[in-house]
Amino acid sequence: MVDENLLQDAVKKTVARKDVKYVVGYDKGTTGFQAAPTFAFEEKDADKFIFSPICVNNLAVYPILEDKPPLRRGEEPDSRKIGIVLKGCDSRAIVQIIQEKGLKREDVVIIGIPCTGVVDPKKLKNRFPGQIKSLEIKDENDNFIVTVDGKTQNISKDELMPDKCKECEYPTPIIYDILIGKEIKGLKKPNYKEIEELEKKSLDEKWKIWEKEFDRCIRCYACRNACPMCYCKECMVDILDPQWVRRSVNLSENTAWNMLRAFHLAGRCIGCGECERACPMDIPLMKLNKKITKDIQEMYDYKAGIDAEAKPLLAMFKPDDPEEFIL
Amino acid sequence: MKENPYQPMLAIIENVKEEVGGQRAIKTFRMKFKDKEIQKNFTFQPGQCAMVSLLGKGECMFAISSSPTKKDYIEVSVMRHGKVTKALHESEIGDVVGVRGPYGNNFDVKDWKGKNIVFIGGGIGQAPLRCLINYILDNKKNYGKLDVIYGARTSEDLCFKEEFEELEKRKDINVHLSIDVKEDNWKKYVGFVPDNLLKVKPSPKNTIAVTCGPPIMIKFVIQNLEKLGFNEDQIFTTLEMRMKCGIGKCGRCNIGNLYVCKDGPVFSYKQLKKLQGER
Amino acid sequence: MMNSYILLKEDLPKFIKELIDKYKVFAPVDDNDVTLFKEIKNPKEMNLKYNNSKLPPKSLLFCQTETLFKFTPGTKGKIQSPGIDNGKKAVFGIRPCDAKSFSIIDPVFKEDFEDPFYLSKRENLLLVGLSCTNPYSNCFCTSFKDSPASSKYVDILLTDIGNKYFVEVNGDKGKQIVKSKLFKPAAKTDEDKKNEVEKKAKDQIIRYQKTDGIAEKLDKIFENHFWKEVADKCLRCGACTYLCPTCHCFDIQDEATMTDGARVRIWDTCMIPEYTLQASGYNPRPERMNRMRNRVYHKYNYYPKNLGVIACVGCGRCIDNCPVNIDIIDVVNRAGEVKP
Repeated sequence: MVDENLLQDAVKKTVARKDVKYVVGYDKGTTGFQAAPTFAFEEKDADKFIFSPICVNNLAVYPILEDKPPLRRGEEPDSRKIGIVLKGCDSRAIVQIIQEKGLKREDVVIIGIPCTGVVDPKKLKNRFPGQIKSLEIKDENDNFIVTVDGKTQNISKDELMPDKCKECEYPTPIIYDILIGKEIKGLKKPNYKEIEELEKKSLDEKWKIWEKEFDRCIRCYACRNACPMCYCKECMVDILDPQWVRRSVNLSENTAWNMLRAFHLAGRCIGCGECERACPMDIPLMKLNKKITKDIQEMYDYKAGIDAEAKPLLAMFKPDDPEEFIL
Repeated sequence: MKENPYQPMLAIIENVKEEVGGQRAIKTFRMKFKDKEIQKNFTFQPGQCAMVSLLGKGECMFAISSSPTKKDYIEVSVMRHGKVTKALHESEIGDVVGVRGPYGNNFDVKDWKGKNIVFIGGGIGQAPLRCLINYILDNKKNYGKLDVIYGARTSEDLCFKEEFEELEKRKDINVHLSIDVKEDNWKKYVGFVPDNLLKVKPSPKNTIAVTCGPPIMIKFVIQNLEKLGFNEDQIFTTLEMRMKCGIGKCGRCNIGNLYVCKDGPVFSYKQLKKLQGER
Repeated sequence: MMNSYILLKEDLPKFIKELIDKYKVFAPVDDNDVTLFKEIKNPKEMNLKYNNSKLPPKSLLFCQTETLFKFTPGTKGKIQSPGIDNGKKAVFGIRPCDAKSFSIIDPVFKEDFEDPFYLSKRENLLLVGLSCTNPYSNCFCTSFKDSPASSKYVDILLTDIGNKYFVEVNGDKGKQIVKSKLFKPAAKTDEDKKNEVEKKAKDQIIRYQKTDGIAEKLDKIFENHFWKEVADKCLRCGACTYLCPTCHCFDIQDEATMTDGARVRIWDTCMIPEYTLQASGYNPRPERMNRMRNRVYHKYNYYPKNLGVIACVGCGRCIDNCPVNIDIIDVVNRAGEVKP
C-alpha cells in the first residue's frame, strides 16, 4: 500500500517550488468506483491527493493537453514545469513522448508511484451493481479488500484487475524525481495467448470478428482524445482538404479510422489501455494495439517508452537498415 | 411530403466582381436562381443572410449584400478564407451554386423611419451595411440624415470602391472614408474607424447607429458612440459565429441562449449587454 | 384502472411477433456484452437482462449519419431530393428516461423549419416502454420528479410484476395495441404490485441532483473560476455528448467523388476545439473551460430559458462513461452552492 502522507508531502514540496505551475494527481472521485484527476496549485490543495487501487487513469495526457490560449501582445508563455503523479505504466508514456521530443525532461517533475495493481471500474461496477453510498478499497498481496456501504470482503486481484496489470513488466516508474516507497521488481511477462489464437484464424474469420467490432464504432474519437500518445496538433481525420477519412459512420470508414490509429501508434503504444477504457462502445482496442506491439517486438526487438535517450523506432533511419531509403 | 429545409435551390453566377485583390481577396458574386418563379418569390429584409453551397465542397452563411429592392438577383461579398470560400473564388460566370434562405433577423427598417442613420463599417463588414444603405437610399424619403463612416487597412483593402465614388457625388448622403496607415495619394482621414467616428461626431438626437466589422473595431466603436451620447437601444450590430445548419438546429452558433443564425445576426447593444456567452 | 392491462410473461414472445408483423421492431440486443437497440426479426434475439442500452435510442430518430440530399458535384452540378423514411417502426424496451428525451428534443426539430427526417420517423415510431426495476449506478431521474416506471412519455408501458407485466396505456396509439387478445384487464392487486415495484426502484436511487432554481443560479456565476476547476481534467473526448439522449448537435459535410456525392448530417460534439473554429482561425471557445461551461449552460440554463425544460433526463450515461469522473450531478450541485 502506498503511504498517502508521503505522497501529499511530496506534492506539497513540488508545488511550493517556484518553477512548478501545478501538480496533477488523483483524488477520490464522486462515485467511489474510479478516482478523478485533480490539480494542486497551492500547498493546501495537496491534502486531497490519494493513491489507491481505484487510480486507474493515465495522467501523462495532461502536460500536452493543457490549453494554451492566444497570448496578449508582449506576454511571455508560462514555461514553468508541471508535476505529475505517475504509476509504472504511465511513466512509459512520458518517456516515449520525451523520446519523440514532444516534451523535454525538464518540463516535468515526476512523482513516481510503485504500483501493485489497480481496479477496472467496469468490473467493479458489475461486481457491485446498483447505487452505493461509499466504497473503500485497499490492496494486500493477492487480494483487494473492498468495503462497500460498511460491508468488507476480500476479492482476488485476478477478478478485478484490468488485463494490463496482469501482465505488468514495469510496476516502478522508469523515470521519476521523487519515489513514494520502495522500488518493486517487475516479475510478470506480457501474455500474447489471445493474440496468437487470433493469428491462427483465417483471413475471413478475422475479418468477420473485426467487422462485428468496428460496426459498433460511433467515431466519437474518444480513443484518440484519451490517448497520451495521440497529440498531433491537427489529426489526420480533422483535415478537410483533402479529406482522408470521411465523417460519415459506416463500416468502411470505421475500419479505416481504427486501423489508421493502430498503425500510427506502431512502436509508440505503451499499453496503458486508456483508449479501451474511454471507448463508449466497449470495442477491444487493446487487442489491435497489442498485436502490433507484439509484431514490433518480434521484428525489431523494440519496446516503446523504456529509454528516453533512444531514438523513436519508425522515425529513424540507420545505414544498415534493409531498405535503401527511409521511405 | 414535407419540405427539406437543408436542400438548397440551384442558382447561376451572373457576375463576379473583384473588390480587393491579393492575399485577403474579396469578390462580389451576383447570383440568379435557375427557376424564374423562385427568383420572383425570393424576398428578404436588409440584414438577412443566405447559405451558399458549392456542391461537393460545402456551404457557408453570407450576409446578402445587395438591396432587396433589386428583384432580379442577389449578391454576396465574400473574403477568401477556407475550403468553401476558396472554391467560390475560383468559380466563374455561368457556374452553378446552391442557395437557401433567407435566414436570420433583419435591421428594423420600419422602426427606423423618420430617423437619421449612421453606418459604421470596417473591411468586409461593409457587406451587410451595403444592403442596408442601398435599401434606405431607394426609400430615401422615409429617412433623415445619412452618414457612412467606412475604413480599411489600406486603400487597396477598401471594398465597393466604385460604388463609394458614386455615393460621394450624391448630396443626400455623407461619406467619410479612412485608411489605417498613411499613404501617398490618400487625402482623406488616416486612422482607425472608431477615431474617425469621433471626428465626424454624429449627433445622437433621433439617430440610429449601425456598425459591422472586426470584433475589436465594434468594441471601440460602441465605446465611442456611448461617449457621443448614444444609448443602448440606438446602437445595432451584426455578429457572426461558425454555422452549419443555419436554421437553429445544430446547436453550434449560440451566444448564450440565442442562436446567431435564428435570433441574429442583428443584435441591439441592449441585447448584447445582457447576453452572457463567448463571441 | 380503465387503461390498465396485464400481459403474461409467457405471452411476451407472441406479443413481439404481433409487433414484428406490423412494424419494424427495435429491441435491446446483446452485442458482445454491450446492449444496443437493434432490429429484431425474432423475439429470441432480445435480451431483457439489462439496465439501459449503451447508446440511447435517439439513434432511431436522429440517425448517426443521415443523407440530406444527393448531388452531382462541381460547377455544373445538379441536386436530387432524398427519399424520406416513412416506414412504421416500434421500439420495445425503451426506458421512461429515454422516452422523455424524445419529448425534450422534439421542439428543436419542429420549431421554425420542420426537419422532415426526424419528424417523419417520430410520427411513425411506436414506443413500448419497459420500467426499470434495478436502476443503474448513476441514474437520477427522480431528481426531475420523474419515475423509473412512468408512462408519461411512451405509448404503452410494461412493468415486470413477477410472472406477468402490468401494462399502462397512454394515448391513441397505445389503445390500438392493447386491443390484441393477449392483453387482459388488470386487477387491483396487479396495480398495487406495480406501485410496490415502482417504489422499490425509486428507493434504490440514492443519487440526487439539486435543480431548483438552477437556471437563475447559473446566470449569476458565468464568469466564475469554478468552471475552470471543473474543466481542467476534461480530456475533450466527447463520449458524454455521443451517449447523451438529449444532445442534438450535428455537423453537415459534403462527401463527394468526381461523379457523385451527398450532403450528410452526422453527430457532432461541442467538446472539441473545432466546434466553433472559424475559417479566419479565430475561436470564440478556445479553452475546455469555455466548452464545458457552454455544455452545462445549454442543458440547465439556455434550454430552460428557450423551451421551458431542463435538457437532462437523469440517465447517468455521461457519468458512467466519463474516463475522468466529471460527474454532472456533482457539477450542478456544486454550481448551485458557488457564491457569485
